[in-house]
Amino acid sequence: MTDNQNAAATCLDETQFDVMVIGAGIAGAESALKLGDMGYKVLLVEKEPSIGGKMILLSKVFPTLDCAACITTPKVSETARHPNITIHTLTEVDTIQRNADRHFSVQLTKKPRYVVEKDCTGCQECENVCPVITKDQFQFDLTARKAVYIPFNIANPRIALIDIENCMLCGACEKACPSNCIDFTQKEQQLQITAKSVIVATGFKLFDPISIERYGYGRYKNVITSMQMERELAPTRPYNNVLRPSDGKIPDKIAYVFCTGSRDHTVGNPICSQVCCMYSTKQAQLLMGALPMADISLYYINIRAFGKGYNEFYLQAKDMGANYVKGKIGKITEKENGNLILRFEDILTGKVTEKEHDMVVLSVGLLANPAITQVFKGEKLELDPINYIQQPNMLQSPAQTSLEGVFVAGTATGPMDIPDTIMSAGAAATETSSYLKRLS
Amino acid sequence: MEKKEKTIDIIKQERKVSPQVLEDRKTYSRNRKAIMEVLKAGPKSIPQVAAETQLSLPDTTYFMMALFKFGDVQVNSLDDMDEYYFYELKKK
Repeated sequence: MTDNQNAAATCLDETQFDVMVIGAGIAGAESALKLGDMGYKVLLVEKEPSIGGKMILLSKVFPTLDCAACITTPKVSETARHPNITIHTLTEVDTIQRNADRHFSVQLTKKPRYVVEKDCTGCQECENVCPVITKDQFQFDLTARKAVYIPFNIANPRIALIDIENCMLCGACEKACPSNCIDFTQKEQQLQITAKSVIVATGFKLFDPISIERYGYGRYKNVITSMQMERELAPTRPYNNVLRPSDGKIPDKIAYVFCTGSRDHTVGNPICSQVCCMYSTKQAQLLMGALPMADISLYYINIRAFGKGYNEFYLQAKDMGANYVKGKIGKITEKENGNLILRFEDILTGKVTEKEHDMVVLSVGLLANPAITQVFKGEKLELDPINYIQQPNMLQSPAQTSLEGVFVAGTATGPMDIPDTIMSAGAAATETSSYLKRLS
Repeated sequence: MEKKEKTIDIIKQERKVSPQVLEDRKTYSRNRKAIMEVLKAGPKSIPQVAAETQLSLPDTTYFMMALFKFGDVQVNSLDDMDEYYFYELKKK
């Protein structure tokens, strides 16, 4: 084969795939890996600059308390190095249209990184000289990052990108880069590919508690979300220890408010988020390890410890000293010293009570992420009443959707924990493989 | 390695920097200088730095943690009440 033929073949390979997986979180990566191992050519599309989704940002996982990064990083690394998997980060799907041959034509938009991916070594010299800071979205705004940055230490790919909206165009990064890989001439790219099948693994959105005004999130600095606490507990944490964002104090009376944005018709999410009881219990155990003198109170409506080893994990937290209070929070108010007064109904006694804490963690729920349905042209990807991807044949074929050749994996179908997500991703890979065999 | 033409001059012709970005940059620069000036005298806790710089406590926490992340300051020790850390300038 001549060089030109080689180039043409490469080009063909990069535009024609057996499967396009949308979303490179743990579900998408797992499906892509399984299908890649079976020999299928897989395109993995991720809108963020790193693959790994939300799991890569967690501290530890329940009920084993294994390090989340230690589980995610090898999987993510294997995905990135797999010869049958092509990954596009910073890329979103614009349209998916079925052709006459039943394959899908897909239009993608890849945002510019302003860094030549193949040349960046991740040395962070650019970050060191960048004079601009802005809130770090991967630390959930608890600390800052530079305008040119590597998303987080275990990001994959571990290369820099420039946040052009917050860049002051000083050129210091370009001067400092030892591999000359900063490229401000990069533009948004439109990519056209075809795929024989699609897996939707777009995950979930976290509930934003700013809409529940009585909890004071966004106004009271020491009311944080469970994802912010997750970051405070992670090895790559924003602070040097678990601290209050208001004044850097080590908290010693921490409260958890369960079901924030779950099982709540008033915020439009009537269902249980399945994971909040257990991740809060996990965080309570980690906090009791990190801050041995701290009192941890968890205000719950019902404990849902349904998975393998979950009830034992919950009992273990109680044995360690976690104080579970069956109570419904009415209101949180802030004192001058940053402490917080929780007014709640004690469900067991029926009395309204107040208690002071110096930090409150809102155990936020999971919401559907239905935007992907808009990209299908000429046919409709159906949603269920809660806006998750509908599974018309949930018991016999859980990855099947309302569209032939389009499958679904992980929390795009509804709230679930990590073991269930992995199983769902495996099911999606198997059903996709079966479909591809029937198609050929 | 082959030296490329600087691309910053090209994008400067196409984009303008927002006034907010310039203002935020000034704020960071001013607060960084103020915090590091106070820490020259020795290790201090966030409330102590806030009192001397006249910055709010949340702002002091945010900027101190940014300086901690960027390697400008480091943890010295914990106070006697085990409540606040003392931070000091990192020797470079």
